[in-house]
Amino acid sequence: MRVTTRSRIKSPWLFHLNTGSCAGCDIEIVAALTPRYDVERLGCILVGSPRHADVLLVTGPVTRQMLPRFIRVYEQVPEPKVVVAVGTCAASGSPFIGSQMIEGPMDKIIPVDVYVVGCPPRPEAIVRGVVTAVKSKFG
Amino acid sequence: MNTIVILLLAFPVVFFLSLLFEGIDRKVHARMQKRIGPPIIQPFYDFIKLFNKERIVPVTASSGIFTAVPIIAATASILGAAIPLASLILETGVGGDLILVLYLLVMSSVMVMVGGSSSGNPYGAIGFSRKMTMLIAYEVPMLISIVSVSLNCNSLAYYNVVSAQIMAKLLLAFTRPSMAVAAVTFLLCIPAAADAVPFDISEAKTEIIHGSLVEYGGPYLALIKLAKAASNFALTLLAATLFFYLPALFDGYVSLGLGAVFSSLVIALIFWLLTITVPRTIFARLKIGQAFKFYWLIPLPLSILSMALSTLGL
Amino acid sequence: MKMLMTDKSDGTKEIQMDYTRLRVPFGPVHPALKEPISLRITARKEEILDVDIMLGHVHRGIEALAENRNLVQALYLVERICGICSHSHTTCFIQALEEIGEIKPSERALYLRTLIFELERMHSHLFLLGIMAYEVGFDTLFMFTWHVRENVLDLFEEITGNRVHHSMNTTGGVRWDLPPHIVGKVSASMTSIEKSVKYIYDVFQDKTVEKRLYGVGELNYSEARELCVVGPTARGSGVNMDVRRDYPYAAYGELKKGFSVVVRESADAYARTEVRILELFESINIIRTILDELPNGPISTEESVLKLMRIIPEGETVSMVEAPRGELLYFVKTNGKEGLWRLKVRTPTIPNVLGLKPMLIGCEIADIPVTVASIDPCMACANRITLVDPDKGEAKVTDVSTLRRRGRKQ
Repeated sequence: MRVTTRSRIKSPWLFHLNTGSCAGCDIEIVAALTPRYDVERLGCILVGSPRHADVLLVTGPVTRQMLPRFIRVYEQVPEPKVVVAVGTCAASGSPFIGSQMIEGPMDKIIPVDVYVVGCPPRPEAIVRGVVTAVKSKFG
Repeated sequence: MNTIVILLLAFPVVFFLSLLFEGIDRKVHARMQKRIGPPIIQPFYDFIKLFNKERIVPVTASSGIFTAVPIIAATASILGAAIPLASLILETGVGGDLILVLYLLVMSSVMVMVGGSSSGNPYGAIGFSRKMTMLIAYEVPMLISIVSVSLNCNSLAYYNVVSAQIMAKLLLAFTRPSMAVAAVTFLLCIPAAADAVPFDISEAKTEIIHGSLVEYGGPYLALIKLAKAASNFALTLLAATLFFYLPALFDGYVSLGLGAVFSSLVIALIFWLLTITVPRTIFARLKIGQAFKFYWLIPLPLSILSMALSTLGL
Repeated sequence: MKMLMTDKSDGTKEIQMDYTRLRVPFGPVHPALKEPISLRITARKEEILDVDIMLGHVHRGIEALAENRNLVQALYLVERICGICSHSHTTCFIQALEEIGEIKPSERALYLRTLIFELERMHSHLFLLGIMAYEVGFDTLFMFTWHVRENVLDLFEEITGNRVHHSMNTTGGVRWDLPPHIVGKVSASMTSIEKSVKYIYDVFQDKTVEKRLYGVGELNYSEARELCVVGPTARGSGVNMDVRRDYPYAAYGELKKGFSVVVRESADAYARTEVRILELFESINIIRTILDELPNGPISTEESVLKLMRIIPEGETVSMVEAPRGELLYFVKTNGKEGLWRLKVRTPTIPNVLGLKPMLIGCEIADIPVTVASIDPCMACANRITLVDPDKGEAKVTDVSTLRRRGRKQ
């Protein structure tokens, strides 16, 4: 069992899903791949299909049009999986609270493991969020 | 008896070596991009992690073919790599095993292609059509160059080509002009067979979401990735031993035994880095029409030239 | 396969199945897209026959929310319309408020606003060049370009405190000053960035990249004028328009001689990329001029922001800036009681995304990510449209093709 646990911690594959964010958090997630922060040394790859992923990185308050797609992508990720809410919009919905186009912060819809707050959070904070999530859920 | 034991032992050795080479490839690719890159044993972590995930078969897929494809592809690839490796260790061969090895490698690519199309996803269908076009483009020059090698050495057995180099004390690529041309053609076909940029058109991540692999996850994906790594290993091992068998230049203990095998593996790793890692780092991806045109304009005439030269005895 | 329904002469309908056509959904969730947009593409083998564009996935109702906020809160809301061009949005909004309230910011404040504006243009263009390289599969160039971009983000952090969402603007001026030691850092960064951008320009002319970008996504001059595309998308098709030169704002009036507008005629994806690379050189020149000519003085007015908010009367105005993607237009109507009657935002991506249809028809599937990236879409900016039907009392988010039809009818 220990070999499996170690492998799951050493190779978390990320899938990035934008449910209507302003793209600030998304560019910090993509910036985490670049040579200055380089998450690949931790084994993280940004994969293209949710079926290949372990960690679902979600940004943005969930808009009404993205809600069915959001639920569908969540179901396509195979177990065991981890959900990380990146950004203040995903964690609490602000500054868009009160709008009728928002289906509420993420944790009303799917269970969230780690919240990384910030507007946008720095790439180091996002990496730390992913590592914390993976270690606590799989370890 | 001995043969069967060695052949069975070659399976885990191929598994270990192909994933190790893939790790070295990823590390070198990252270092060329000014990054640190993952540890060399990263593909082992990936494989074990993927094997322990949930098995999902999509509703739109034909589940029989969908679940059978990864096993067939992985078995074919590993067998295709184990046969040359066992042949080198045992220093014997069976007539015709060169054609068998090439057939097994093509079969694993075709299986992945079929699996992609059986998944019921439109991106899988696009990946299927693109891979079919690429197969026509690169397999023909590769096969013609192997046929010209066997015309030259009067044998279809893999080990006979290797031992011809040992007897002549020369690398095959430097014996005759036809062999040099055949070597160049074979090396040019490797990036397309390995799905490396600029020819990874059938598995483009940003265009068709991994093409044939889009619906595969968990243990199926682990086996397909193993199939690809083993197929790359087999191709580079073939290139290293058929054309550039370095121990043939030396007498004594390096010519025979495990030292020779070890040095062939090192040369195979160098060819992996030259033909798969370096193009992956320095080129952009081509479109299917442009890649097809490239393969029909340069490697195909070269391979026909090599066959013509070897029939003439040059 | 596609079903074609035709009406026959005797009133019945005939259905034909066309098995050569393939319906490929592109987005809203796709690894080539960082923001959701839905393109329904009908293709035969690899050739694209028809494109259906659907927006609305990022619609958060910002214009409705802005009516319930006071002027200071609305500034921070407006900043979060888009993460990449956030300074453009705040500048446009603050300019509108300053025009209504007749508040004049000091010269130094205007120069500092322009400095951050040009730095943002540089970071946005470097971002796009990296994304273009990523779409054609050239990972190494993507890593290199974003590594260069980190220098610009470091400058943002030194001057304003954050890498993205700088919040530099405030009513009547800016919030952060530029001390002398940072002036030196900015100059040194500009020199090293200029060297790297020359190298990037060289690599974009490499053979494999050239094969992917030449002749892809063509939008000729007349189509560009008809669809009213703006920004580098228009300048790549030969349309000579730039708000910085035609309607100068902030400090661009004094800097007019310091920069030139880059226009290219070939109208394909490569032309648009080349326009952006050359604009990077122009931005470096503008920043150097700003650092040389930076006037002394205060950076904001003496009254506090809350007092200024109260003196802004009821009024309406239109304000325009040149965001990195094109012309950005705001209509602001204040109600004299520290709030807004109406805020209307027209971002550059809205007309640019309409240009996707003539660009994509006739291209291959492999050209879709390259073309979509070459117009530099910022979907978060573009999802502002709501149609309210007062008779039925319903509000629905509509797509741009419906809007076009309605606009033509009325």
